[in-house]
Parts: sequence; C-alpha cells; structure tokens
Amino acid sequence: MPIIELEGVWKRYESGTETVEALKDVNFAAEPGEFVAIMGPSGSGKSTMLNVLGLLDVPSEGVVRLDGRDVTDLTDEEMTTQRKRAIGFVFQNFFLIPTLSATENVEVPTLFGTDPTARERATRLLERVGLGDRLDHRPDQLSGGQKQRVAIARALVNEPRIVLADEPTGNLDRKTGRDVLELFTELKTEEDVAVIAVTHDDQLRQYADRVVNLVDGVLTEEGAEADAGTEPETTEEFGT
Amino acid sequence: MSLLDRLYRRVPALVMARRNLSRNRLRSALAALGIIIGVLAIASLGMFGTTLRTGASEQLGDIGNEISITPNPEAGFDRLTDRDVADIRRVTDEGVVVPVRQRSGTLTRGKDRRITTVYGIENPGALYEATDGRVPDRLRQGALVGATLAEQLDIEPGNRITLDNQSFRVVGVLEEENGISLLSPNSAVVVPMESFDERGYSQVVVKSPTGTAANETAMAVREELNDREEKVSVFELGSITEGINQFFGILNAFLVGIGSISLVVAGVSILNVMLMSTIERRQEIGVLRAVGVQKLDVVRMILAEAGLLGLVGGFFGAVLAVLAGLVLNQVVISDPWLTFAPANLLYIGLAVVFGIVTSVLSGLYPAWKAATERPVEALRK
Ligand SMILES: Nc1ncnc2c1ncn2[C@@H]1O[C@H](COP(=O)(O)OP(=O)(O)OP(=O)(O)O)[C@@H](O)[C@H]1O
Ligand SMILES: [Mg+2]
Repeated sequence: MPIIELEGVWKRYESGTETVEALKDVNFAAEPGEFVAIMGPSGSGKSTMLNVLGLLDVPSEGVVRLDGRDVTDLTDEEMTTQRKRAIGFVFQNFFLIPTLSATENVEVPTLFGTDPTARERATRLLERVGLGDRLDHRPDQLSGGQKQRVAIARALVNEPRIVLADEPTGNLDRKTGRDVLELFTELKTEEDVAVIAVTHDDQLRQYADRVVNLVDGVLTEEGAEADAGTEPETTEEFGT
Repeated sequence: MSLLDRLYRRVPALVMARRNLSRNRLRSALAALGIIIGVLAIASLGMFGTTLRTGASEQLGDIGNEISITPNPEAGFDRLTDRDVADIRRVTDEGVVVPVRQRSGTLTRGKDRRITTVYGIENPGALYEATDGRVPDRLRQGALVGATLAEQLDIEPGNRITLDNQSFRVVGVLEEENGISLLSPNSAVVVPMESFDERGYSQVVVKSPTGTAANETAMAVREELNDREEKVSVFELGSITEGINQFFGILNAFLVGIGSISLVVAGVSILNVMLMSTIERRQEIGVLRAVGVQKLDVVRMILAEAGLLGLVGGFFGAVLAVLAGLVLNQVVISDPWLTFAPANLLYIGLAVVFGIVTSVLSGLYPAWKAATERPVEALRK
C-alpha cells in the first residue's frame, strides 16, 4: 500500500488578475523503501508538489492520502501532528539552527515533546550518517555536506515514513552530492522510508528507484526502460 | 543531569529562548536594560514615597494617639463634670485619661509680667516630659513651665513664680513640643488642679497607646456621652494623620505612575527587539513548524524569550532598587533598614511583576506573528 498518495491534485495561485496553475491534475503515489526523484525545469511546480506531499500546503482541488487516510482537510494542528509523526524534511539550504550543536539540531523535531530517548536516537543517527565525531559542533563548524547529513539525521529522528527533500544536493559539489544521495539509498531500506527528492541534478537519476517528470504542472512517469531500480555499484560505509 | 538540564528538558521553550537571547547578547542586554530602568524607577520612586512618609510622621510624632473631649456650648454645656470624667474613664479600654482645667492668668517673675495660659492638670506625667527638673505623676504643689516661657523669663526649677496672686515653686521645665499637639505646653504653665477655684473641666485629653485604640475610645465616648444630646465634641488628631497618610498615598501613586511610564517605554523596546529577532529567524521558525512544532509551542518559545528578558531585567532592577533605597534612606532619615519595610518590599515585588508582565505582553504580538506565518511562505527563498 502506498504511504503517500496524491489524487487529482490541482494547485492554483491567484495573484491579482492572473491565475497560475502550478499543479494540474497530478496523480502520484510512493511506497515505503522507495526512492522517487521528481525532475523538471525551474518553475514547473516541483516545490509546490513537495509542499502538498509534506502537508505544508493544501491543494486547491484533489485528495492527499497519508497511510491510506484522507488528510486533505485537516486543521493546522492536526497537520502539524501528522508532519511530526510521519514526515521528515531535507532542504536545499539545510536550514539548521545556528545556535544549536549537531545533536541538538537533530533533536529539534523532538524538542517540544517528552521523549526521553530522543538524545540517544539523535546520537545514533549522527553516528549512522558519519558524524559521530562532530556531535557537539555547531553548524558554522561543519562543511556543506556535513550540514546536509545533520539535516538528514534530523529528518529521520522521529522515525518518519516519508522523507521529502527539495534540491538536497543543490548547494553541494558533485562528489559531496553523490555521498548524500548514496546515504539516501542506504537509509530508505534501513529505516523503511519513502524518499521523495526534487532535483535538477541529473546524477540523481542513477540513485533513484523511479523518476517522475514534472513539466508545467503536469506529472508524467518516466519510462520503465530508464535507469529506474538501478542500485549504485559502490556503497561506501559512513561513520564507524 | 543537573537541575537546570532537567528544567530545560521539561520546558523546551526555555532552552530555545535562552539560546535565542544569547545569539545577540548586546541587543538582549539593551532590551533588558530598559526593563531594569523601569523596575528601578517604579521601585525607587515608591520607596522614596515611603521615606517621605516616614520622615513626615516622625515630625508629627504620635499625635494620632490622642483625642480631646470638650463640652458643647451650643447645647448649653460649658463644663465637663466629675461624672463625665468618670464615664470617660469607664469607656476607655486602653490609655490615660487627663482632665484639664484652663484659664489665662498673669505670670509675674521679678519685674517681668506676662499673660499666659494656665492649665490645671492632676497627672501631667501622662502627657509631658521635663528637660529640667521633673514632671511628677501627681502634681500636688508647684508648677511646670513651658519651654518657650522658661527661656523668655529665664526660669529654672527651684525658682518661684507668681500667678495672679498665688505663688508657686517651679518643679520642672517642660520639653519643647515641635509637632502638633492638643495642649501645646510651650508658652503655658501647668499647676495643680486644686489651685483653680472653679469646679468641672474645660477639656479631657485621652492618650492611647495606638491610633486605633484612640479611635475606639473616641467612638466609645461619643456613644456614652452623646446618646441623648450632643453634650460633648470629640476631636481626634487621628483624622489629621489620616489625611496626611492619604496625601502621601496619592503622592506615592503619582511617583509610581511616573515610574510606570519608563516601563511602558521598556515594553516598546522589547516589542521592537522581539519583532526584529522573529523576522530574522523567519526561516528557522518555518523549519520548526515544518518538522512538527505546533503554533502554540512557537508562541511559548517567544513568550519565554520575552519573559526571560523581563525576569533578568526585573532581578537586576530590584537589586539596584535595594541599593538605591539603602543610600536614600541613609541620607534622608539615617535609617537604611527602612529599605526593607514591608511597604518597600511590596513596591519592589510589584515593580518586578510589572516588569515581567510588561515584557510578556510585549512579546505577544511578535509571538503571534511568528507562529501564524505559514511555513511554506517562511521557507521560500
Ligand atoms: N505563493 C505563490 N504565489 C504565486 N505563485 C506561486 C507561488 N508559489 C509558486 N508559485 C508559482 O507556481 C509555479 C511553480 O512554482 P514552484 O516553486 O513549485 O517551482 P519549482 O519547480 O520548484 O521551481 P524551481 O526549480 O525554480 O525551484 C511557478 O510559476 C511559481 O511562480
Ligand atoms: Mg523549487
């Protein structure tokens, strides 16, 4: 069963006189343990789609299903709760909190709860992404790739079912970007999450199980004959 | 895990708040400084009022403890009788009843002659002290001379004076009374009651240990003697002190009001600081909301920041106010410990509470604004 599903989703932005249709009748589904890449030119509606998938934005029309449940019309509070429970975010600009250490940054999504095992989980995840020796470093003491790995650990700390990444490699060089993508492919099976990444980055294609193309708000599945399902040959281990 | 760590674990908004404040220490310190000044202004102006009031009541002495009962000539009474005095004694719970006869007479000493007030008092010891000689508990012979008169006529204990045609030996010179007094002794002579020809008394003074007791006595006397007709009028100096207290109460409220203005200014500066810092942290708050932090938790976090500013400002403001109070009270009334009078502690407490409340109120708008911003908007670059 798909963990997240879009059915007939439209998103329109009214700005003054004209209406922009950012998503046009989008149908989409992702399974746990699957790495889906959303590709498309700038302005095609990729971020918009990711926001709808991440319950940050509501569609103008259509249905969003999380774990088989219709979540389209939830209140803000319920959506926030669902985000916390089921969804992790990774952003192009990392968006780490500058005053907090790596561990504390990973703990942020658990901060306003009363989970005593959060610290432990945060440490374990940082070790998993290869930052076991950077636990107490602040973001300005970390490289771009390290920051993004902290962000990935943060996305995973609440044991979500889906990780959404908007241009996760956008601010990284090719080599570092590859490391991050590799990490995603490892984690998707380890943590049994669906990874949905938006990208311009062509090298993402070889790591994704499936690629969907978004052009002018219209979503099309890329042919099965493409590299879908191809695992990268080399898998580096991170951390100790 | 230290106590602080455990507190932070319990109230995560506090951790975030403390970190956010330490991010721009100078700005936070300046915002707290506003609160410090406001709290200091309220507390020290309040304490200043207390100091003035204490100084004034030291000047006034304990006149609030005395009442005076005089006959009411309009109803045909121009004397108080022995029975009236007995009635007054009976209804006085605490305090000393001092019946007084009064006339004016010519005082002769050597060649000097002077018209003076003459009091006939049996127990002047209840009202007066002597600077020279002594004031007997029962005045049976001899006379007491007021301080001013004694100085003008150069009278000392042991001298003889003549009042009209009676001769008295002076047994004491009375202490000068600076404050307001019901029977001002300064230019008067006090002689034994028996040396008056008349019967009855022109007034009765009751001196009680406290103002409340005086007030109770006054009411009891009115009830006892005026139940059928207005036989006597009862004068309470307590009503004057009450008026003076009221005046100082108003003065204090005024001073504290002025202090509050500075606190309002401080509130505006906190509002400004919080607004700026939430705008700077727009994306960060967007991330918090995206990863599942509820609106209300964001509000809590920002209110905790404002509250911490208020708490720190209030604490240092209170410390400075105590120091200012010690100096003020030492200089004005040479009693620094008055700083810790209950009224002052109340002012300090109130000022701190005002400071914290002002800060939290000023945090409300920025908190609301930050929490209601949609994370999608905040995260768009
Ligand atoms: N809040 C908004 N108000 C009006 N129009 C918007 C808004 N957000 C997005 N759009 C429009 O919707 C379309 C899709 O935007 P979106 O950000 O999803 O594109 P994108 O595929 O992520 O582009 P990029 O690769 O440059 O990030 C664009 O034409 C954009 O101008
Ligand atoms: Mg985008």
